[in-house]
Amino acid sequence: MRNTYLWFVQLVTGVLIAVLLSIHMVLMHLDAILGFFGINVNDPTSWHSMIQRSNQAIWASLYIALLVVVLYHALNGLRNIILELTPSVRTERIVTWAIIVFGIIVFVWSSYVPIALLYA
Amino acid sequence: MKRIQPRQNYLGATGWLWAGNYKIERYLYILHRITGLGILLFLLLHLIMTTVFRIQGQDVWEATMRILHNPWFKIGEYLVAVAFVYHGLNGLRLIIQELGFALGRPTPPIYPYRDSLRKKRPWTMLIIAIIVILALVFFYDFIVGGW
Repeated sequence: MRNTYLWFVQLVTGVLIAVLLSIHMVLMHLDAILGFFGINVNDPTSWHSMIQRSNQAIWASLYIALLVVVLYHALNGLRNIILELTPSVRTERIVTWAIIVFGIIVFVWSSYVPIALLYA
Repeated sequence: MKRIQPRQNYLGATGWLWAGNYKIERYLYILHRITGLGILLFLLLHLIMTTVFRIQGQDVWEATMRILHNPWFKIGEYLVAVAFVYHGLNGLRLIIQELGFALGRPTPPIYPYRDSLRKKRPWTMLIIAIIVILALVFFYDFIVGGW
């Protein structure tokens, strides 16, 4: 794919991250403010609270959606930084495929865990 | 597929940090990359914590949480939060400015010149001010209040 398209997707995922990460941050860290509005998240990092979230598909889908856009944005950014050294075509191809394989491994493992925990 | 050869980077890795006489936007760009790489490091640690340690059960998770409530990790969390705010707001500025919004009408080239960089700069300064204010608020929230 042409790098200009990759760059455009980088912008789009940036905006998506701004939205999804805001949701993630508010739900994880603003428990006092959410409690004021009647949403009870009682200490999100406690084991009990995590078990409650693990059983709900909406949380798993939020995590996986966030994972996809964040992984694309992060690894494409890393690739852009590395390719600024203007390596040879061969090296560029190796870098690209190494990043794709790494991204797929991280994605498969990190989306397997919330799905497996749904049925745990 | 025919491949267009990019312009060669004669500076090598030093070109990542220094390639000439810079204005403030280029320093923001360097900082954008540094915060981006820092957030990538945080993302990998965060994923290890929430997957590898998470699926090992309650005891391992609570031991992990005890380590993460160490005051030194508060400083790390503060740095991550500021990096996120910087990267997010500066990225928003880049999207708006690079796609050509908020440039205003074209003006004739009469002294004092109003080129595109000078038209953008007040908004750049505004974004920097918001970032600094949020960094101070987070400093209070993470370091002073939440110790």
